Amino acid sequence: MERKNNQYPQGEAARILVNFLEVSITSIVFLKGVYPSGAFERGRYMNLVVHKAIHPDLRQYIHSAVNGLFPFVEKGLVERVAVIFSNSDNLPLEKFIFKLQVNQSYASEVEETQFEYYLRSFLVKLSVSRTLTKVLPSDCRWEITAYFHASSDANMSNNLGSWIPSRTEQWQRPALITPIKSMRSEPLGLQLYLEHPSESDT
Amino acid sequence: MSFSSRRSAKAISKSLGSRISYDSNPSDDSNSTNGSKKRKTTQKTLGVAWGSSSLSSSRSSFRNAPFSDFGSYMIEKNKKLHRQFDAEASSSSHSGPGSLKPIFEGVSIFVDGFTIPTSQELRGYMLKHGGRFENYFSRHHVTHIVCSNLPNSKIKNLRSFSGGLPVVKPTWVLDCVAAKKLLSWVPYKLDQLINEVHNQPKLSTFFALKSLSTREGSPSASSSIQKAESEDLESRGGTLNDLIYFEVGESSKCSRNYGEKISDDLHKITDAAINEGPAHTERELSELKTIGKASSDNPINSVAKCELLLNPLQRTASTSSKNWDKKSAEGSSSLQLGGPYHPHSTIADPNFIENYFKRSRLHFIGTWRNRYRQRYFGLSNGIKQTNFDANASVTSRMTTIIHVDMDCFFVSVVVRNHPELQDKPVAVCHSDSPKGTAEISSANYPARDYGVRAGMFVRDAKALCPHLVIVPYNFEAYEEVADQFYDILHKHCKKVQAVSCDEAFLDVTDSEEEDPEILASVIRKDIFEATGCTASAGIAGNLLMARLATRSAKPDGQCYIPPEKVDEYLLQLPIKALPGIGCVLEEKLKRQSVLTCGQLRMFSKESLLKVFGVKTGEMLWNYCRGVDNRLVGIIQESKSIGAEVNWGVRFNDLKDSHHFLLSLCKEVSLRLQGCGVQGRRFTLKIKKKIKDAKEPVKYMGCGDCENLSHTTMVPVATDDVDVLQRITMQLFGSFHIDVKDIRGFGLQVTKLENVDYSKQGNERNILTSWLASASVNSKKQHNIHGPAELMADGGKSCSISGEIFLDEVSELPSLHDLDISVLENLPPELFSEVNAMYAGKLIDFVSAKKANTVDFNGSVCSTLQEGVEGGILKEEEDGASCRSHFTNVNEKDEDRCHNDEEIQEASASRVGSAAVVSSVLGMEECDLMPSSLSQVDISVLQNLPEELRADIVGLLPAHRRPNCLLDSTNFSLKKEGERTIMGHSAELGHASKVNLWDGNPPHWVDEFRLSHCLLLNILAEMYVRSVSTGQLSSILQCFISQCQLVVVASDAEMDEATNSLCELVKQYITLKIETDIEEIYLCFCLLKRFAVKSEVLSRVYDIVVPYLQASVGESYGGSLNLSPLIGKL
Repeated sequence: MERKNNQYPQGEAARILVNFLEVSITSIVFLKGVYPSGAFERGRYMNLVVHKAIHPDLRQYIHSAVNGLFPFVEKGLVERVAVIFSNSDNLPLEKFIFKLQVNQSYASEVEETQFEYYLRSFLVKLSVSRTLTKVLPSDCRWEITAYFHASSDANMSNNLGSWIPSRTEQWQRPALITPIKSMRSEPLGLQLYLEHPSESDT
Repeated sequence: MSFSSRRSAKAISKSLGSRISYDSNPSDDSNSTNGSKKRKTTQKTLGVAWGSSSLSSSRSSFRNAPFSDFGSYMIEKNKKLHRQFDAEASSSSHSGPGSLKPIFEGVSIFVDGFTIPTSQELRGYMLKHGGRFENYFSRHHVTHIVCSNLPNSKIKNLRSFSGGLPVVKPTWVLDCVAAKKLLSWVPYKLDQLINEVHNQPKLSTFFALKSLSTREGSPSASSSIQKAESEDLESRGGTLNDLIYFEVGESSKCSRNYGEKISDDLHKITDAAINEGPAHTERELSELKTIGKASSDNPINSVAKCELLLNPLQRTASTSSKNWDKKSAEGSSSLQLGGPYHPHSTIADPNFIENYFKRSRLHFIGTWRNRYRQRYFGLSNGIKQTNFDANASVTSRMTTIIHVDMDCFFVSVVVRNHPELQDKPVAVCHSDSPKGTAEISSANYPARDYGVRAGMFVRDAKALCPHLVIVPYNFEAYEEVADQFYDILHKHCKKVQAVSCDEAFLDVTDSEEEDPEILASVIRKDIFEATGCTASAGIAGNLLMARLATRSAKPDGQCYIPPEKVDEYLLQLPIKALPGIGCVLEEKLKRQSVLTCGQLRMFSKESLLKVFGVKTGEMLWNYCRGVDNRLVGIIQESKSIGAEVNWGVRFNDLKDSHHFLLSLCKEVSLRLQGCGVQGRRFTLKIKKKIKDAKEPVKYMGCGDCENLSHTTMVPVATDDVDVLQRITMQLFGSFHIDVKDIRGFGLQVTKLENVDYSKQGNERNILTSWLASASVNSKKQHNIHGPAELMADGGKSCSISGEIFLDEVSELPSLHDLDISVLENLPPELFSEVNAMYAGKLIDFVSAKKANTVDFNGSVCSTLQEGVEGGILKEEEDGASCRSHFTNVNEKDEDRCHNDEEIQEASASRVGSAAVVSSVLGMEECDLMPSSLSQVDISVLQNLPEELRADIVGLLPAHRRPNCLLDSTNFSLKKEGERTIMGHSAELGHASKVNLWDGNPPHWVDEFRLSHCLLLNILAEMYVRSVSTGQLSSILQCFISQCQLVVVASDAEMDEATNSLCELVKQYITLKIETDIEEIYLCFCLLKRFAVKSEVLSRVYDIVVPYLQASVGESYGGSLNLSPLIGKL
């Protein structure tokens, strides 16, 4: 295991990142109050109280979506992972965007503890950033969307078959960005920010 | 796997080996078994199972066998046997008639012992009809065990023998073949086992029958029965219906073997039912009776018929079912608890726990308080408030307490509607069965005269008082009367402390009515008029004496103990009468020959404290003197919540007990939610039958038990049923106990934490509805697209306010995780709130963090006045004092702070000779600082906070840096290694060409330091301050904190400052845009805030923002949202 880490720090970094994404996406969904708070239970992650989804389908969705990204995160192909809240017409109202950077040339060992401080600060900041977010309509929907770097080669696109292409209307509006938290460490960089549709459109 | 097969093979061989020994030559084991396989195919009469017997004899020699051990040998052998069987099966089924769906698909039999037909014939059937035949018993492969006879030892130890699998007679296979379909095995169960099971007072046999009836009947009929059953259970919670259903089932099952018994049983039921129920149920019941008789011939049909009959019966019976509630609970419990040998049946009473508690008097009393609190919640809240002021002023005055207690509440409430019972001995009991093993819970005074006491068995009570009337509980009436009782009390008095549903303390000190005795009699009169029940009252100066007074007032009277008579009253009072003294304590005191309070008074307080502990000792000392300092109106918070069932608990297998535990958890969870608390510590208690204990005298009671308990703590308090269930299962798993020995379960939750009331209610509604919908969905196997499907529910929770959200995060992040910039920018109100959440520690934390800044501000102001020279003097002093404490790095740090200030002050004062001053300071420092880091204790340095460490490193004289950094390569600041001394010659004009943020310290620091603009000078100094992060935001933050000092003199200066800053910020944006927009965002928020105060910054802001937005747009496809938040900050 240790040796594996040594040889391949990106894998370990991606694993940490994917775990973190799963926790933080659940936290976002909890934060936005899409589901009753009973759908979550308290748990511990990096010594923080976080909320875990109890409902198997919800948990499964987040888990599978994020873990499905693992190989791509590992190769540094995933640029952004967005949690998009949209209204019933599928127009996005709010996006929580994780911008990922996995340094492919980094070669030394990676341990979870070295990111713990940073990742924890994400969750802490997230838990107090409710005021930055908008109140969603009751019939809102949400989804996890991953944005890849344009250059994904051919054999990658085979694996991408299981991903559903997102609708283009989500792209059309220039967004207002509110940063929540950023971190830069090796080999992992992560930024979390909010995107809202710009005022002129609403 | 290998282990189990080995063991089973051994077990079987033991049983068989003695009878038939196929192979008596153990030496050529492999040959012989191979040979046996070959012969098997030819000689049908040879039992394949016998093959195992050879193994037993060969065990002694298996070490010589080519296989490494017995287990691997058996695996190989089993594999081979399977292959052979498969080959034969394929050939025989080809030759078999037609392409019928094989009868025995999925069935795998193991034949044990001598059977008719022989095991080979059975094997043939299995071959032909798609079943499997196992030569060796294995729990994983075998589904049915076929045998005709079992030795006694196996019957006694059936579970270990059969592994819970059905044990059937060989005729089952034949009948299945004859019927050309797979019949239920249940009727073919081995007779010995049926008898065995029947001998135990268990109802599992009935269960088997029921599953038979539902399985064997035509699909529609069986499903309708099941449906009807489940509906009944749901709608009525299983009452008479269950009882009769069960009893009939039981008796008809009996009839298979004990035909003559059936009529007796049914007579019993019907007679009893007729006695209890209204007359018009008679018809149905007699019908039942006839069916019951018929059932000896055809038990299956009769059950179905009974089932159909029950609907009308049940309707009529419901009116009279109260008496039977308890019994039916038994029925349903047994229903649930029986579920023996068919692992797939899950038919069980889902409501046992609910029913159990619905019918429990203790539960009624226990949960009554909760109900009371909800009803009078607002009221007692008000009381509490008034109470506190009142107490302060009134303590000097004599208080007057009335203790009101209903007379034999549980009886009189029932009896009040039966005038004919008024003077007769009456007792309340959950059942009046002829067995008489039910316990009396309350008896009225005429009955008490006969010596009937609570807790007595009915039969004993009847022996004392033959004409004792037993009445059942009437919980609705109890609730109604209790409510009336408290309404009256609250009407007369503002301070009411509920003790129980029929007992309360009133503090009438402030009452308008002067004479407490008159008040008491008015209250008693009101109670009697409203409820038809009598109450007694005791009046005295405190709770204790009032309660004791009531004791002498009963029944239906009142007693006043004025303060002067307290001593007289107490002296002769037996100690047992004091509340808080139970059997154990009494016994202890008796040993010291203390019988009355007067005798107890002889003891000194010290000796009491010593002997009985602080609490009990204090209590004894006080109570025997009639001292009681408790106040009326203090509602004690419950410390634990739980549920315990120790009646009717019988399990056949693990599944039953799991099911039971799950419903127990549900009950506890509901109670927690009902009380609005969550708990962290969970205790599972188990009553385990003591070895050799006989079936208890009390029907379905727990008998002699040993009490076991396990406890666990969870970090986050919960009332969630799922969590509870998980915890409970874990706890239960740690017991390693035979479920058959379990006689009682209890789950207790302690370490309770209050849940916000409003939130709690909210959550509960949502939670339950949500869970309900979820479970319904899952039942129907609807494929939920999780998130999408849940949206509808989600709407509800959207309305939960932000406050709740705050509660959600009630486990606060640790101080060090807090983002200091967030804290600093909080509005004062919010800050104080957060501070309160951290119990005031936050302020310390922030101030500690800010210490540098504040310190700096203060000292800059003061030192400015002192002037540079004074500063130098001071510096010298500091340096001197510092040298003496040189080893202490912390000291040095402090000192460094001063130095720093001096430097800043120097530059701030813009003395023309600033460079000279700093060089002077530098010289001072030369003496002060070690020539290299190697002189510094690295471990101390490394343990310092990063900022301080960087400060120290930064403070080393510039020309010494390269050396010291070489020395400190093992020192963690690797970046420092790249650091080069920056030439002081860089000109401002070159700024645009140089990357200002390169280097460490970045180029701009030096440039700004040398600039003629004060603002830039300060900024450069700020960099030193925030050198650890090197981030513009922290520099700006420091900058802003002393903004009042900044005055920009000339236009030229302003232009210079603006240009430099713009360049700086733009380069910073370029640097950070990809990795850290948070930082950029923070900088711009700070800039904007500061722009109000400084024209330079406002211009910088205006110039750079378009650039920023363009960059952000390029990288992120949007623009930074600066507008709304600035207002907030």
